[in-house]
Amino acid sequence: MSNGNVSLTGLNDAESEELHRNLIQGTQFFGMIAALAHLLAYIYSPWLK
Amino acid sequence: MIYGKMWTVVKPTVGIPIFIAAVAISSFCVHLAIVSNTTWVKAFLQGNAPMPASMAAAPMAAPMAAPAAKK
Repeated sequence: MSNGNVSLTGLNDAESEELHRNLIQGTQFFGMIAALAHLLAYIYSPWLK
Repeated sequence: MIYGKMWTVVKPTVGIPIFIAAVAISSFCVHLAIVSNTTWVKAFLQGNAPMPASMAAAPMAAPMAAPAAKK
């Protein structure tokens, strides 16, 4: 046995943390692009004007 | 990282598609509701959006001056 610290999903703590870090990073990237798109929509459309 | 160990409990093959689907579906619903319940989005996309007073009052950008003819 190489690793006795296996969880319900088969991931250990370090793998889970790594996956979560990437998921958070992707969400932040998506969020920044979405915020930019909303800013452009606000500037160039009659939205809220 | 907070909640970093959640993937030791939730299978990533289940949790990540649920997360992405929740974002996609809720975003689609909000945009559909806006398109359905306003008139200006459709008009704007058609290219004949009624200009609000604040935008209509703004002066048009000056047309670019033609380059001086060389002699």
